[in-house]
Amino acid sequence: MSSRPAIDAALREPAHQVSPRAIGYWRVGAGINLTFWVVAAIVWYLLSPHPWWAVLIAVAVVAVSAAYAVVMPTLRYRIHRWEVTPDAIFTRSGWLSREQRIAPLNRVQTVDSHQGALMRVFGLSSITITTASAAGPISIDCLDHEVARRVVGELTEITSAAEGDAT
Amino acid sequence: MTQPMTQPMTQPTPDEGWQRLDARMLLVHPVKVLRQFLVPAVIGIVGVRSSSGDWPLWMLPVAGVGAVLIGSLPWLTTRFRITDTQFQLHSGLVNKTQLTAPLDRIRSVDLESSLLHRLLGLAKVEIGTGVDDTRINLDALAAPQSQELRRVLLARRSAALAEDPADDAVRLQDVLADGHPETVLVRIDWAWLRFAPFSLSRLAVVAGAVGVLSQFGDSLPFLDQDSLESGWNWVVGFAIWLVVLVALVAGALAWTAISVAGYALQWWDFVLAREPGRRPGQLGNLRLTAGLFTTRSTTVEEARIRGVELDEPVLLRVVGGAELSTLATGVGESGVTKVLPPCPVEVATGVGGALLEDDAPLRLPLVPHGPAARRRCHVREQWGTLVFTAAAIAATAVLDLGWWLPVLVFALCAVTGALTAEAEYAHLGHAMTRGHLVAGSGSWTRTRTALEIEGVIGWVVQQNLFQRRAGLATLVATTAAGAEKVVVRDVPERLGVALANAATPGLLSPFLDQDR
Repeated sequence: MSSRPAIDAALREPAHQVSPRAIGYWRVGAGINLTFWVVAAIVWYLLSPHPWWAVLIAVAVVAVSAAYAVVMPTLRYRIHRWEVTPDAIFTRSGWLSREQRIAPLNRVQTVDSHQGALMRVFGLSSITITTASAAGPISIDCLDHEVARRVVGELTEITSAAEGDAT
Repeated sequence: MTQPMTQPMTQPTPDEGWQRLDARMLLVHPVKVLRQFLVPAVIGIVGVRSSSGDWPLWMLPVAGVGAVLIGSLPWLTTRFRITDTQFQLHSGLVNKTQLTAPLDRIRSVDLESSLLHRLLGLAKVEIGTGVDDTRINLDALAAPQSQELRRVLLARRSAALAEDPADDAVRLQDVLADGHPETVLVRIDWAWLRFAPFSLSRLAVVAGAVGVLSQFGDSLPFLDQDSLESGWNWVVGFAIWLVVLVALVAGALAWTAISVAGYALQWWDFVLAREPGRRPGQLGNLRLTAGLFTTRSTTVEEARIRGVELDEPVLLRVVGGAELSTLATGVGESGVTKVLPPCPVEVATGVGGALLEDDAPLRLPLVPHGPAARRRCHVREQWGTLVFTAAAIAATAVLDLGWWLPVLVFALCAVTGALTAEAEYAHLGHAMTRGHLVAGSGSWTRTRTALEIEGVIGWVVQQNLFQRRAGLATLVATTAAGAEKVVVRDVPERLGVALANAATPGLLSPFLDQDR
């Protein structure tokens, strides 16, 4: 690299993917959503009068939910990545929109892990890391439970060694 | 009375050194309580009177005694003291609150006196701690005592922060003895009154007042339907343009009078001063005092100020005015404190430069974000045109209105949208100086935010579908100061990453693509 201050740089991908079981978890979540809309549409169709444009809207809603359940999980699995170095944490998330977040570990204030009921079935955990800025929480969704526990342990060790009030 | 506070206590025993609020508050609080209960009481009395016809006179002394009792509770139950390391406050009768704040976490001390406070020689003290929502209120102390408390708290805080605790007491005495020579950064200049009518922040208050007044309008005898209608017909028949003109002129005159009066009340005797730190080169405090009837005095530790924001609302910009706020950590809700009244843009940039200790961030031309960003401004602004025109077409089809309505709506929205988008693009940009990240934003209001790079806690790079296709990204610097983030919108992606990398060199470099 040249010594001139660069006006051109790009972020690479974070090193690790989340657990492959996340695809199943997201698909089940989207499937529940789809089921809800299908049931709602059927009930409505049976119980009330239905002009053609209302049927069209209902079909569109169900179709979008179905497409979401098919496309979103694989796409999201490809986008979601994370990496923790001794100095910083770097994540990428989203599926249509993308968001990359970077925070130095010496500014980290809390490290939480979270496991919902459905996540437990899939053996997944999410981690949330907060800094002194309300705009800056970083979360890694759907890690393998064991990996999550290890990462939380590492992060807690690193951040408790940092000094100052992190503002 | 203030003497015990200035003596550093070595071994505070549980019952030592407690102080109360000023006894004169025994006069203020009952009045306040009465005022709070006045409206419900009047409603209640009127209700009782109209239903039974009896005027419960015995209520009056009961209410008075009640107010005095309730009003004296704060004075009876509130005690505070300063120990070597903490500020402690005990209050409450039934729900007892014991609040302790470490002295090194105290970040601001504000004094405020309403007219009633000032007549009695009192001042309210508000202490800001590191936690954003917790502010300690002492309502109220004698004015000299409150100033002494402010001085002691801020001096103690620096003493608590000192590396070597052994000679704290000595240093503290030094600080209290040297009488704080302060540098005045800026004082009110009454020529700035010309900016008052162009600052619309007070308009909401006036609109509210008009709304309340119009409630009473209904009961005016001459404002019934018939007289209104005949009056209206007469006016329309006469000369509508004359009436409109008179109304506009009257409105403008009234607005000018109200805004100038409000400006004068709020910023009377305005002084922004810098109190130096205890040692050469150490940051001190920033102190703002202003107000004619209600005087405010706000003090913020300069080390907590992470940046400034220069706002130029469209009307103010036309006459060359601007407003300045500081972005600080740990002071109140949003951490954004207005430190200047509407004033000439030169004064605002000058004071901003003095606060940042660098003129460049507020004067430097911004790097524009290029044609793709400009296109996005236009696309975003024209969504409204699409929606409104569609609504107009629908309305025309359903209600059988003229074809000119959608055309007119489309033309108006398109032109407004295009103008807004151009303004937005003109204000969009970024810059970096040695110590500061600068972001330009806003559409009708031009905003320039300068954030100390030290205050950057992390980075977020956001891209939605459209931004990705245009090669743009929104770069967010997260911080604990001000609004908690500084947003550089629609910056070319690679330029944005380079900017973040240049601002915090070590942080991003491991994550950069090395192939390029």
